[in-house]
Amino acid sequence: MSDYSISVRDVRKKFKRHLDRRSTLKETLVRGRSRNLQEFWALNGVSLDIPRGSMFGVIGHNGSGKSTLLKIMAGIYRPTSGSVSIDGRLSALIELGAGFHPEMTGRENIRLNGSILGLSKSEINQTMERIIEFAGLREFIDDPVKHYSSGMTVRLGFSVAVHLDPDVLLVDEVLAVGDEEFQRKCFDHLSYLRKRGTTIVLVSHGLGQIESLCDEVAWLDHGELQATGQASKVISSYLTHVNTEESLHRPRLVAEREESATQPDGADARPIEIMSVQITDEQGTALDHAETGQTFYVRLALDVKERFLGPNVRISFQHETGPLVAMVGNHRLGVDLGWLEGRHTVEMGLTDNPLLPGRYIMHVDVFDHTGARLVDSWADAVEFAIRSQRGEMGQGFIDLQASYRVDP
Amino acid sequence: MTDLVRYRALVQAFAARDFSTRYRSSALGWLWSLLQPLASLLVYAAVFSLVFRIQAPPLGSDAARTSFAAFLFTGMVTWNAFSGILTLNIAQLRSNADLLRKVSFPAWAPLLGSSIGQLFQIGLEVLVLMGMFIFLLNVGLSWILMPFILLAVVLFAQGVALMLSIANAHFGDVQYIVTVVLGALYFLTPILYPLAMVQDSVPWMYGVVLANPMTWFVEPMHMVMYSLEFPPWWVVPALLAFGAVVFYLGLRVFNRYSEDLGEIL
Repeated sequence: MSDYSISVRDVRKKFKRHLDRRSTLKETLVRGRSRNLQEFWALNGVSLDIPRGSMFGVIGHNGSGKSTLLKIMAGIYRPTSGSVSIDGRLSALIELGAGFHPEMTGRENIRLNGSILGLSKSEINQTMERIIEFAGLREFIDDPVKHYSSGMTVRLGFSVAVHLDPDVLLVDEVLAVGDEEFQRKCFDHLSYLRKRGTTIVLVSHGLGQIESLCDEVAWLDHGELQATGQASKVISSYLTHVNTEESLHRPRLVAEREESATQPDGADARPIEIMSVQITDEQGTALDHAETGQTFYVRLALDVKERFLGPNVRISFQHETGPLVAMVGNHRLGVDLGWLEGRHTVEMGLTDNPLLPGRYIMHVDVFDHTGARLVDSWADAVEFAIRSQRGEMGQGFIDLQASYRVDP
Repeated sequence: MTDLVRYRALVQAFAARDFSTRYRSSALGWLWSLLQPLASLLVYAAVFSLVFRIQAPPLGSDAARTSFAAFLFTGMVTWNAFSGILTLNIAQLRSNADLLRKVSFPAWAPLLGSSIGQLFQIGLEVLVLMGMFIFLLNVGLSWILMPFILLAVVLFAQGVALMLSIANAHFGDVQYIVTVVLGALYFLTPILYPLAMVQDSVPWMYGVVLANPMTWFVEPMHMVMYSLEFPPWWVVPALLAFGAVVFYLGLRVFNRYSEDLGEIL
């Protein structure tokens, strides 16, 4: 028995993309075989040894070949060249609940799914109760699956797959679904399986998940192995790579307002116009993103057409998913900007930025000194990313600092 | 071949799925398995015996009597065994595409599973056929050959279905071609008319009908069930051997072209 339960040897996988897909007989007969082929290597010489009983993560951006690799390990695709050897019984969770028949009851589907995944009848009967229990679907188990919610279907699918008692378990991104409680249950069960010696390969975008669960991680990029080794090391070099890549490709976060937008649409011209918005560091250098926990600055260029007293400059942050997360203005902070005239730059320092990683949209509004009259407003001024070097930081929007104390 | 044994639980599971879901959302349920063939029997029997005045050959038990309905149903049962398996199988790969893309298992399993479900249908029709003949007091020892002929038909049908369904996975037209060809083949098989009738009236067509493999199954079936005669000793073994060879070839062809099924579908 070798120390590795999965050995991937120089696996290459070529996909053909038919630009004009011919799937009808007539087209093939009439025009011959498609010449308009585009070939690309989804995997280009990947070799991996995955130690027995370990939890192994595979990371990489979309299209890096992660899922192709997993499907080759699972035997769904054949490698174009190279080989994969798996030691022991394999179970793959490529998609939960694939093959559930909507007209059949949960119990009937467990039988079907179990035998598709390679279980014998008696094995299914033995684990039936545990599967139902784990999925938490006891009262619905004899209802047709078409009446289940998507969450229930996923729970049932996961429950069947993990009760197969596999030696090797491949998991592709499926744990992102389901509610928090069930996810926790899934991870607990994965840890339990691993303690019993199951080798688990996890493909995920959730770097935090991978880091906390996996011993070793492989990083794939365009079908090639970039790095493999200790989870935290590979993840941090992956993050560094992603951050530098993005800073190369993303324009600086400076938003200049279009000329037309500054034209007054009413009878009287706006006394103050917001000209541009940008995110900078302390020195005033434009940034491409902000970091959680680090101070960043928002610089606004204002054109004050006529002498103006103490405006309230307010910025609001909206998360890309919709919720308004925070709003800050100088009036509320008790800061008076005094008399303004001509071009001014207003700089706001956001100390130790408490916003968690994600994409945010910034809106800017300027009110007069009473706070009642809106002088200028720029919705969706800038969309920007907040990232963190510390990997995943949990759910929500705010990096809440807390202290704990235990009383005896 | 050893795979067939290894994956029998999986085939059974697919059979159970097909069987239990077939009529689940219909009120009459499995009764449809009976009503459908009986309805077409009624229509064909009426049109072909009353309008076209086709004469069935004399019954084996009493040469003075004939029964067109019984003659017709004998052929229909044999034909339905073939066409039922073929039509059920041909779309299976595409309808299970979601599964085949995500789980690794032998792709012929859902095909064989649906065929096993179809065996129930065949059995039901055979029971009705036997009931008809018992009612006509047309029962004979030659009946013992009937299950073997049916087994040969099923093997033959499964072999053809394996080849055509993998072709259909590559080219979606195949299922439409099959529908057309099945429709034509039905009339080129001596089901609605006795073979002797074509021989006398349309000699060139007689050759076509004889070359149709389904004729090879339907004719012996007429002999053993309707005419109560034993065919020459070699006929049934030859049919069984033929069915087995086609089935084996079907499996070979299927396995040869199903390797990249996960990508094709």
